[in-house]
Amino acid sequence: MAALTMYPESERLSAGERVAFNLYMISAVVLFVLMMLLGVIMRMAQGTWLEVAPDLFYRLLSMHGAGMVGTMGMVTTAVMWFFLRKYVTLHLWAFVANYVLFLLGALCIIAAIFVGRYGGLWTFLYPLPTHSMGMWPDASAAWFMIGYLLIGVGMLLFYLDATAGLVRKYGNLGRSLGLQWLFGGRIDPEHPKAVVASTMVIIANSLGIIAGAVILVMYLVGIVYPEFKLDPLVAKNLTYWFGHMYINATIYMGVIAVYELLARYSGRPYAISRPFLWSWAASTLFVIIVFPHHLLMDYAQPRWVSITGQIISYSAGFPVFLVTVWGALANIHRSGMRWSMPSRLMILSLFGWAAGIVPAILDGTISINRVMHNTQWVPGHFHFYLLLGVLPMALALMYHVIGSRRNQVSNSAADRLGLPIYLLGGLIFTLAFLAAGHLSVARRMSSHLPEWIFTDQVGAVGAILVLLAMIYFATRITIGLLRGPDSGHAAHAAA
Amino acid sequence: MRLRLPTIAACVMAVLVLVSPPARAWLESSMTAQMLVQLPLLAAVGAWMASALPASAGEWFARRDRWGINGLLLASMTSLVWMLPRALDAAVDDAWIAGAKFATIPLLIGMPLALSWRRASLVLRGVFLAETIATCFRLGWLYQVSPQRLCSNYLLNDQQRLGYWLLVIGAALFVLLMGKLLAGRFDPGPDAQMQGGER
Repeated sequence: MAALTMYPESERLSAGERVAFNLYMISAVVLFVLMMLLGVIMRMAQGTWLEVAPDLFYRLLSMHGAGMVGTMGMVTTAVMWFFLRKYVTLHLWAFVANYVLFLLGALCIIAAIFVGRYGGLWTFLYPLPTHSMGMWPDASAAWFMIGYLLIGVGMLLFYLDATAGLVRKYGNLGRSLGLQWLFGGRIDPEHPKAVVASTMVIIANSLGIIAGAVILVMYLVGIVYPEFKLDPLVAKNLTYWFGHMYINATIYMGVIAVYELLARYSGRPYAISRPFLWSWAASTLFVIIVFPHHLLMDYAQPRWVSITGQIISYSAGFPVFLVTVWGALANIHRSGMRWSMPSRLMILSLFGWAAGIVPAILDGTISINRVMHNTQWVPGHFHFYLLLGVLPMALALMYHVIGSRRNQVSNSAADRLGLPIYLLGGLIFTLAFLAAGHLSVARRMSSHLPEWIFTDQVGAVGAILVLLAMIYFATRITIGLLRGPDSGHAAHAAA
Repeated sequence: MRLRLPTIAACVMAVLVLVSPPARAWLESSMTAQMLVQLPLLAAVGAWMASALPASAGEWFARRDRWGINGLLLASMTSLVWMLPRALDAAVDDAWIAGAKFATIPLLIGMPLALSWRRASLVLRGVFLAETIATCFRLGWLYQVSPQRLCSNYLLNDQQRLGYWLLVIGAALFVLLMGKLLAGRFDPGPDAQMQGGER
């Protein structure tokens, strides 16, 4: 069965595609290491093990947040591209344009922070990112937002190219999402899960990017014409619509790796089903309208919007999560799973996703949110979800691909040691955040009270372990990707 | 080569009607009418003119407008000028600027849009439409919240009404586009031809 071939011919990378894929993946792992280093510095500073001036801390926090979110977007875009191109025609220029615009955007953000001293973070609340009280000039805020605009435009270009490919093949996005099979009819068993997931991401994240294109330009206009005053609540809604969608899309792009690869390692087909289609259709709608759960503390927000935010929070990611985890567990149960780095990383990612959404659902409850939202509970949630959920999905694909490269030892002893260190470090690091949230430790603060420092120090230890494991992964993956293809594997060979 | 004289005559008539003092007085009496009725009508006349162009002129333009990029860029850049409140104001006060408006909107917005749209790939059309929707929301919002009149010829409430209608138009375009993407049919057009050698 073609779906169970470890390296199918349809995944062969041409020379140009291999260069582009390597650029994405190597850039991503290098950026992850650098951004994690900033994270370690900040946690050590909060834990009083390092002296970091508050203004520098907020610049590092701005860089870490923007850099991590952007890099997650970039690497999971590569995951989506790698698999979606098997089913529809994707143009390499769009994939490369996204990469180039990402780099240009990243340069703008780096310049805004390290040259322009921007420290207003992402996400910011209006009237930030301006009104810095002399901490940074308005031009730095402008460069920071231009960076985001460039990254958004790049991703929109890639999505439009993918949309063109999908509508050419399936007629429209409704059909590629599988809506025609929701209420009956024989589901095409060959309809790819990657196509369903990609369609959902395109619909939802394109809306978020358009919202971002509106609000970021309005902020820029506000810098040039300060007499324009925006409604802060509308500005916040649009900012979170964009920000929430962008980061949420990463897991839905990343999970494509699980859909495509899991069956190859379990040796058992992973069939599409009506519940699967229903869950993705429901999540397409819910994910678009779930962002008000970021605004539950805004008393000026209409009550019905907040209540909707709570209800949708419970249901937005849940259907897809449920069918994915249930489907994956059913797929691997007594399958004689081939345990290696990709399969281990996939299982880790499902655990990270499952456990990571629990604190999110709790925080999406209005009565809990009122107490927990401005504490480290929230970074506890999204670090859990990203570090142990999304990133392992991308790493699984990288490990899978380097498995086809020349002279690769699959599942080496260092790999077997690196993964537990990553998991242990990740758990210590994220649970320290969650425990701090339970203790009402405020988030986004450079200096902490003495009573809070213990959790910071525990978190710093976890962060160091994660960083060490990631340095190993990054080195291993970079070397692996730069190696030529194994002549034994047709796929991934240069055409 | 054959000029479609009746169409050209009808286009010229339409422009003359739009230029006539009664039509101008009515369509330029408010910022909303000028921006949302007069300018789109002028662009529509330009698009209509495109259908009357002789084949040789169409081919000449096509050679300079590969994949519709130059035409859509020209239309976008010209639209940028006529989106500015200062330009709308000047077109009411100054005969030369008014002349420029009546010439450039049909010829540099309507006509290239009509000619280039069918050549444009789905990606390019998507970029154009997404930016159009975002621009409607941005301008609509700006006109709604601006504390001062942006045109000396029009009152603040007119400006805010225009802002409201731009938001409505942006939302309507968005709903139509989503409906088309989710349930519509697509002409593969030039995308299908581009599939071969461009991966």
